[in-house]
Amino acid sequence: MTKSLLALLYAAALTPPALAHHSAARFDLTIRDHTVTGIVKEFHPANPHTKIVLEIADDKGKRDVEFEGHSLNNYYRAGWREGMVKLGDKITLYAAPTKDGTDGGYALEVVAADGTRF
Amino acid sequence: MRESWLSARSAVALGGLLLAGVAAAARPDFTGVWGVYREPGAAAPQRGAPQPALPLKPEAKAKIDAYHALVDKSGDTPGGFCLGTGMPGSMLGSGGYPMEIVQHDKMLVVVYEAHTEVRHIYLGERAKEQDLFPDRNGYSFGRWEGDKLIVETTHLKEAVDQARYPHSDQAKIVEEYRLVSNDDGSKVLIANMTLTDPAFYTQPIKSEKKWQYQPGVRLLPYECTEPAWEAHLEELANKKGAH
Repeated sequence: MTKSLLALLYAAALTPPALAHHSAARFDLTIRDHTVTGIVKEFHPANPHTKIVLEIADDKGKRDVEFEGHSLNNYYRAGWREGMVKLGDKITLYAAPTKDGTDGGYALEVVAADGTRF
Repeated sequence: MRESWLSARSAVALGGLLLAGVAAAARPDFTGVWGVYREPGAAAPQRGAPQPALPLKPEAKAKIDAYHALVDKSGDTPGGFCLGTGMPGSMLGSGGYPMEIVQHDKMLVVVYEAHTEVRHIYLGERAKEQDLFPDRNGYSFGRWEGDKLIVETTHLKEAVDQARYPHSDQAKIVEEYRLVSNDDGSKVLIANMTLTDPAFYTQPIKSEKKWQYQPGVRLLPYECTEPAWEAHLEELANKKGAH
């Protein structure tokens, strides 16, 4: 096994499971002013949708919550650039909530730790 | 005598060349990156806004209803599975992403950013029937009529998963492209589409799409399946670690 393949597998092992398929149908996209603030545990800009996991602490306690967001390309055109969101950052999402009230949401807009919005 | 005949023939040939040059010069150049056009001051279109009913034949409606019964609850779409839009969804907006046109004398290449979907519009020699097969974007053959580009697309797969205009494999789509200028001089590309499909529709479907020229904008890569590949590698690594 070559070093490069080992490196690839090691990198893959660090990569969290990706969303296999994507749909915004479970989110209430008419609600656009709902905000969620948390600590970044995962931030994976991707197409067709981005995956964001935040550690959130609220009435329900401290837990990790997964959000879906716009595509990498749409975030890029809205101002996101590589390195703008780092693990451990405290960020805020304008997130359309789930229709059934469970944890999660669709990140319509991201407010990075330095205040940059995309 | 021979000399004057040669001169006359040369003059005719030169005239033909000049005419051809004038015709070519009259053709607009669609090359460049184009984004969704929005009328000045107009609000962004609402996602999921109600659309007029389509003149579907009963058997076509039954097929489309069966498809929606499968996916509407989950909201699954071809794009969510990293599948390109296909015609006519690609030429009517392709998810709101920009497109790039590269124009040559005998072919136009259209790249839609979403899913890096590519269409070739051939202007030279039409491919032989036996060399064609159905595809989500079909086979497109175009011709210039003055400053308009007319494109006929055939050899489409049946696509009940088209968001706006589902169609059968008998569908034929004719696009008519022309270039206009806004008051501020910026370029707008207008595409008028007519979809004829005797298997699905009782009458032709017509639609218009406008694109705004976007100088300085570059098309971005649209890698969609990489997360699935990474997840697969992780699964393999986990299995290997378990042994």
